[in-house]
Amino acid sequence: MNRRDFLKYSGAGILGASVLSSCSRVASGFTGAETVPEGTLIFSHGPDSSGTIPKVIAKFNKENQDGITVLYREAPADSGQYFDKLRTEFQAGGATTDIISGDVIWPAQFGPNDWIRDLSDRFTDEMRSEFLEPTIETNTFDGKIYGVPWFADVGMLYYRTDLLEEAGFDQPPKTWDELMDMAAEVQDKTNAQHGFLFQGAEYEGGVVNGLEFIYNAGAEVMPPDDPTKIVIDQGGADKGLAVQQRLVTEGIAPEAVATWKELETQDAFIKGNAVFMRSWPFVYGTILGGKETGSELKPDQVGIAPIPTLAEGDESFSGQGGWNFFINADTKKADESFKFIEYMIQPEIQSEFAVNASFLPPRASLYDDGQLLKDQPVVELAKDLVTRMKPRPRHPFYSDMSLVMADEFNAVIKSDSSPEEAVTALQSELGRLANLGAEVYDL
Amino acid sequence: MDDDNKQSLVGRVAFFVGIVLFLIFTLFPLYWVLRMSLVSSDALFEKPTLGTLFTIPFDMSGQCNLFGLKFSCPPSYETVLADQLYKDGLLNSLIIASITTIVCLVVGSAAAYALARIEFVARKPVLSAVLAISFFPAVAIIAPLFIQFLSFGLLNTYWSAIIPDVMFALPLTIYLLVAYFRQLPADLEDAAKVDGANVWQAFYKVTIPLSAPGVVTTGILTFIFAWNEFLFANTFLLEPKVQPATVIIPQFASIYTVDYGAQAAAALLMTVPLVIMVLFFQRRIVAGLTAGAVK
Amino acid sequence: MGAASERLPGGKAKSGKLSDAWGSVRSEFNDPEKRAAYWMILPTTLIVLLIAAWPILYAVWLSLQRILPNTTEWVWFDNYMQMFSDPIFYSALTNTFFFTVISVFFEFTLGLLIALALNKSFRGQGTARAIAIIPWAFPTVVSGAMWRLFYQDEVGIFAALASGLGYEGVILANDASVLIGAIISDVWKTTPFVALLLLAGLQTIPGDVYEAARVDGATKWQQFTRVTLPLLKPAILVALLFRTLDAWRVYDLFWSMSDRQLDSLSTYVFEFVRVSQADFSIGNAAAVFVFVSSIVIAFVFVKVLGVRQEA
Repeated sequence: MNRRDFLKYSGAGILGASVLSSCSRVASGFTGAETVPEGTLIFSHGPDSSGTIPKVIAKFNKENQDGITVLYREAPADSGQYFDKLRTEFQAGGATTDIISGDVIWPAQFGPNDWIRDLSDRFTDEMRSEFLEPTIETNTFDGKIYGVPWFADVGMLYYRTDLLEEAGFDQPPKTWDELMDMAAEVQDKTNAQHGFLFQGAEYEGGVVNGLEFIYNAGAEVMPPDDPTKIVIDQGGADKGLAVQQRLVTEGIAPEAVATWKELETQDAFIKGNAVFMRSWPFVYGTILGGKETGSELKPDQVGIAPIPTLAEGDESFSGQGGWNFFINADTKKADESFKFIEYMIQPEIQSEFAVNASFLPPRASLYDDGQLLKDQPVVELAKDLVTRMKPRPRHPFYSDMSLVMADEFNAVIKSDSSPEEAVTALQSELGRLANLGAEVYDL
Repeated sequence: MDDDNKQSLVGRVAFFVGIVLFLIFTLFPLYWVLRMSLVSSDALFEKPTLGTLFTIPFDMSGQCNLFGLKFSCPPSYETVLADQLYKDGLLNSLIIASITTIVCLVVGSAAAYALARIEFVARKPVLSAVLAISFFPAVAIIAPLFIQFLSFGLLNTYWSAIIPDVMFALPLTIYLLVAYFRQLPADLEDAAKVDGANVWQAFYKVTIPLSAPGVVTTGILTFIFAWNEFLFANTFLLEPKVQPATVIIPQFASIYTVDYGAQAAAALLMTVPLVIMVLFFQRRIVAGLTAGAVK
Repeated sequence: MGAASERLPGGKAKSGKLSDAWGSVRSEFNDPEKRAAYWMILPTTLIVLLIAAWPILYAVWLSLQRILPNTTEWVWFDNYMQMFSDPIFYSALTNTFFFTVISVFFEFTLGLLIALALNKSFRGQGTARAIAIIPWAFPTVVSGAMWRLFYQDEVGIFAALASGLGYEGVILANDASVLIGAIISDVWKTTPFVALLLLAGLQTIPGDVYEAARVDGATKWQQFTRVTLPLLKPAILVALLFRTLDAWRVYDLFWSMSDRQLDSLSTYVFEFVRVSQADFSIGNAAAVFVFVSSIVIAFVFVKVLGVRQEA
């Protein structure tokens, strides 16, 4: 047959094949026929643009001796939406995912409702000791361990080494006062547009930022082991929030910061418009990518430091993010699910994720692994910071608390409310929620 | 006579200017979205200036693959066209929207005819009830509907999206058709009945053809509603294989970043079929089906 | 007949007269035309009763209870009291009110003008119509985020235009400017919907009616007010009614464009019903409020604008 015929037939063949597969998919869309083979475990996590997750899962499916097959089902990219979906399914009793990858703020919200399993017995003390403290802490509630850490995310202070040098500074600031003075001087001497950028919009990220200011003022929202008390009105939380407000009123941070999230702050920083920025490790990955990923900065122009504190000499805390493995309480395949989790937390696999997907490992030992530090610069930079992570308040009603905190923190940034007013309002509102939670969940 | 001419010239100019202004207002945001889909992510985040307003720095660094044809295209389109979930999603959207529209038109036009033309005792209660069900905020009945669908095994099937879509589209369908039917003088149907037609025949032989502009418009609006519907599809269709494109598009993102270029490209591609549909059907939305045509 | 006229306009039969009502309905089955009517409304009634009724009634029932993860207690109107003493509720109410009034006004006026314009034959009429529909056809799930980007202070095209015209603030940081931005976005998106709806109505008006009016010496304006408007009334009523109710229940636009800063009644419902765990019940009360207030609005519309009761 000549080439034209060949193309025609192969084209028809491809079309035919895709039509056929579409037909069966559509048909099952009407009948609800289960297309997932019996015995497959379903694992859910948001989209992974690096493509590492499907590769690792494929490896697991091939390598494991017990004949377990895992299917990766993509969850909503937005964490809040993903949480919403899961909660709807749990409340109706219809959650089909076996292994759920979840945000650090979920264990205390899912666990007490018995929607995810208590893994204290499987995820033993010995295993836990190999992980960074904060990553275990965030998975614990009411004495039970609900999740196994997968990867961590930590708040960092980015600074322009070249601009600081130009203005005569050789060290990043350690306190907020220092930062504000430095930023003002550097802006003066170098024409940088913004002094300091952070995420101040009314959303979960805004809560993380606000909490960082509070924690670094030496204050707490909730004592780590007592979810029935709110202590935000003790210890200077209002001073921490006052810093947040001053950064804007004194022109160090742009007014628009009250509407900015990670994307906007990253964009302004990598275009070279700011001296300092508070963000997550992913920005460094963008900078490493150079022009291709939109960065006008080179890696040697950027340094990483701990978040400044209010008082001189205080310990610096960083906001904590990250994702963890949970097991659906309703699953009939808990053992197999845990086998998958054990596979995923192996050091080699964690290294693979670190290098290819920029997932910071929660295993302490990996931060001393010379090869990994070389292959993935972000790990080296985060080494000190991951020991400073501090979880957000762990409480079954965290969603409600987050709404209130996001609102109040944002109002302070916009100067719609004074730090003292905000703290008073938070003490009362969060207190009500804590009392309710104590009552309902018998804490 | 002179006055008349002057008026019509002013009128025509005003008309022309009006149409042009309207088209600019309508198209400018769309132009900007198109521009977003065609440029690199770098250029997307650049501060717009008067100079760059109408320049599009095309970025053709991507490789697109459509039905076996390979060609250069902007990276946003490469991402979107390579995404099998998105392509499957378009088919899913088509299925859900078509069935919803057909059901709404069939069920709705019959009900609308009865409600518009026939005096019967249950008329007002039905009209009110039909309208009232669309008042309840959809978000508040998501959970009960979820439980309902779960217990009937309808979750993850197209039906769990079609049923709520019909439920929320039906009121507008019925009310629109009632309005359009009422605009037709009743004597046409009376004439048909005198000629021996019963109610059903009067309905689909006389009323429907004469109210074709209305029926087609209602169909188009219903289709667009179901095509763009997000809330129900997102909540009840949990497996990617049945998810429509509206649910897939927000997935062009990661935890901290949003791929605006890809979302813009995907949204534009989703809009194209609708525009083609309107272009095709708008010939039916034509005046002139006057009494003279009915004999 | 007697029982029918004692019903409230647009309302359901009072329960005491239920048997009378059923009696008159039964008697209508003898008339072939009326029997056909009942068959015609049967599918719709089934859909309403089977699918819509239960979730709505269930949500109303829930609104009278305090639902917490391990307990449920009957609290009658306590949820409503709490809602009515919540300042955020009032802010949501005011935002929604202004949003509704202003957007519907612009959408209707512009929509009518556009429908009249597109009603004339001119070259490119079909293309103009197809272009006109694009904003309405563009997926809402993306348009909210896109418009937010347009108003974003660094990269937004409209923010740039605004600052070019001298505006100095940050659009997204200020509640009032976000509201205006949302209104502009909604007018852009929804005017085509109103226009298309009214256009179909215009197209259904037979040409000879205008012919007759012209022969009688009516001017263009008189033709418009004495012929077009009255005949278009049913379509206008539907357009206004549905647009007002849609605007009253706006959720997508506020949620994605203002990104939680600005509350509308429906985002208020959403926050409590979907995000909150502790105050879930207030969300149901708010949903019932939206439901009841929508009924009131519809009622007012029908009364004031006067729907002709007879065909």
